[in-house]
Amino acid sequence: MQNVVERVINLLIYLLDSPNPVTADQVRQTVAGYGEQSDEAFHRMFERDKGLLKRMGVPLELKATDKWEIDFGYTVDPEEYAIPDPRLTEQERVALSVAARMVRLGGTNAGLAGLLKLGGVEVGAGIEPLAADLGAEASILGDLFLAISEQRKLEFDYAGSRRLLDPYGIAHRRGHWYLIGQTVDGERVFRVDRISGVEIGKQARAFRRPKGFQVKRAMSTHPWEAGTDQAVEATVRFDPDVAWWAARHLGVEAPRVGELEVVLPVANRDAFIGWVLGFGPDAEVLAPDELRRQVLARVEAAVQAAG
Amino acid sequence: MTSDRTATRLSRILALIPYVLAKDGAKVSEILERFGYTEAELTRDLNTVFFCGLPGYTPGDLMEAYIDGDEVIIDAADYFARAPRLTSMEALGLIAAGMAILGSGQGSPELGKAVDKLTRALLPDAGAAIDVDVSGDPENLAALKSAATERRVVRITYRSLTHEEETVRDIEPWAVVTTLGNWYVRGHCRMVDAERVFRVDRIRHMEVLNEEFERPKDLTDPGIGYTPSDDDIAARIKLSPGARWVLDYYPVDVLKETKTGIEIRFTSPDAEIPARLLLRLGPDARLLEGDEVRERLAGIAGTLQARYR
Repeated sequence: MQNVVERVINLLIYLLDSPNPVTADQVRQTVAGYGEQSDEAFHRMFERDKGLLKRMGVPLELKATDKWEIDFGYTVDPEEYAIPDPRLTEQERVALSVAARMVRLGGTNAGLAGLLKLGGVEVGAGIEPLAADLGAEASILGDLFLAISEQRKLEFDYAGSRRLLDPYGIAHRRGHWYLIGQTVDGERVFRVDRISGVEIGKQARAFRRPKGFQVKRAMSTHPWEAGTDQAVEATVRFDPDVAWWAARHLGVEAPRVGELEVVLPVANRDAFIGWVLGFGPDAEVLAPDELRRQVLARVEAAVQAAG
Repeated sequence: MTSDRTATRLSRILALIPYVLAKDGAKVSEILERFGYTEAELTRDLNTVFFCGLPGYTPGDLMEAYIDGDEVIIDAADYFARAPRLTSMEALGLIAAGMAILGSGQGSPELGKAVDKLTRALLPDAGAAIDVDVSGDPENLAALKSAATERRVVRITYRSLTHEEETVRDIEPWAVVTTLGNWYVRGHCRMVDAERVFRVDRIRHMEVLNEEFERPKDLTDPGIGYTPSDDDIAARIKLSPGARWVLDYYPVDVLKETKTGIEIRFTSPDAEIPARLLLRLGPDARLLEGDEVRERLAGIAGTLQARYR
C-alpha cells in the first residue's frame, strides 16, 4: 500500500503539471514506481491507479495529444481538479461539520470525508444527542446525483422493465429516497431502493431541466396524493383517541376535544385505504360511497386471505 | 477493500497538503484534531509526501514535508495548493446532512448559510434538485434534544405502537434519532425500569421535569431497534411481491422467498399490530399461522364490516 500511495501521488503530480496530455508510455517511462514492471503488470497497475483517481473524484480525461488525433493521452485540468471554494466562515464550517456528524447516509457519515477537503472536521463539540439515518442506498445515490448535476441521461431497471430517464432531482421522504425525472410518458417518480442496473449516459448536458423546476413541488406530501386513479375528495373521521395523532400526520390543526373530520384529495386509492385501515376501528371513511365500498371490499379480502 | 482504504488515505493527504500550505505551517495538535489523525498516521503520511514530487525526483523536485517541534511544515507543493473537488457522494452527503438538520428545525442560521454557499459552489441550482424532508414536530424534537443534552427527565403521555393505549411515564432521554421516516427517542423508561425506544409522533404531551439523570457511560451509537421477547406472539405470513415494503417497515424475519411471494415471521408483543397490517394489505397477504392474530383480525373486521355495510 505504501508504494501504491506514493506512486499515485506522483502520477497525479505529473498529470497536473504536464501542459499536454501524456500517453501511457510516457507515464511508464517518467513516473516513479512504474518503470521496473513487465508490460502486463504495468497495464494492470496503471488501470488500477486510474480507477483509484476517478473514484476519488479526480477529473482524469483522455484527450488527443496532437491535432491530427493520432495519439491519445491522459490529462488532469488543474482548474477542474480543484474544489470550488464555497468561502465558508469558520462558524459555518463548524455548523456543517456538526450536521455531517449527526447524519448517516449509506451507513456512514458520508459528508465527513468531504469536509476534510473544506478544511477539516470539528471534533471538540462533544456528543450530539440528535442523529438522522437517511437510508442505506448510498452507492447508487452518488451515481444518481452525478447524473442530475451533469444532466446525463439515466437507464435502469425498475419494476420489471428498463427505463430511460432525464433525471431532474432527488428527494428524501418518509425514510426513502426518490428519483424524479422526465420519461417518454411524462414526469415520473421512482423509489431509489427499487432501482437497479444503472447506466449513466456518456454525454454531459444531454438535456435541460425545465426552468423553475422544484423537486419539492414535484413530490407529493402523502403517498395517496400521487397516483393515476381518478381523483376523489375523501371525507374521513377519526376517533377522539387518535384524532391528535392523525392531525399531526396530516399537518392540520388538532381538535381540542372530540373527533376529527377532514376532507383529503386522493389519487392513489390503494395507498389511501391502506393508511385508513392502519387505524383499525378508530377511523372511518364517510364519503364518497364508492370509496366506502372499496374499503369494505379490502376488509373482506383480508378476512378471506387470513383463512 | 484495500483500494478503498488507499483512496481514504490518499484523500486525506490531498486535503492536508493545501490546508498546511495555506497557513504556512500548522500546529501538530490542530492537524491531529481537524483531520482525525493519530500521531503515527500523520508521521507516516508526511514521510510518504516527502518522497513524492515532480519527475526527475531529485531533492529539488520533491515536496518538503516534516514535523518541526510542534509544527507541521509542507512546502514545494504548489500543484496541490487547492484540495480536490468533492466526489458526488461527498457532496450529496454534506448537502443532505445540512438539509436534514435544517428540516428537523434543529439547524442554526450558520448551517443554513453553509448549505446555501455549498450548493451554490457545487451545483448552481442544487436547491431545486435536492430536497430532504425528515419532518418531525420541531418543538417536540427541540425539547427532547435539549432534555437529552441537559440530562433532564421528561414526563410523556405516550400512545404505544404495540399496545393501543395511552400511558404516562417518566423517561431519561439519551438520544433523538430519525430512521425509516420516523423520529424516535431512545432512553431509560422509569415505568418499566429498562431501556426503551419511543416514537416521537406518538408522544401526545410532554413535560421536562426539574430533575437530572445520569447518562450511562458506555452509551454507543444511538441506534434503534426492536428486540423480541419471550412473551411475543408470532405469526407466519405470506406476502405477495407487491407488499414487499413491509420488510422495510417492520422487524420481520424472512423465512422463504419465491417468485410468488415472501414468507415472513412477524413477532410482536400484541396481536393488534399484525392484525392491522393484514387489514391494510387485504389480498396482498395471507396468514399461514397465528391463531391469536386471526382472531384479532376477525374482531376488527367484524366492527368495520358492520359500519361500512
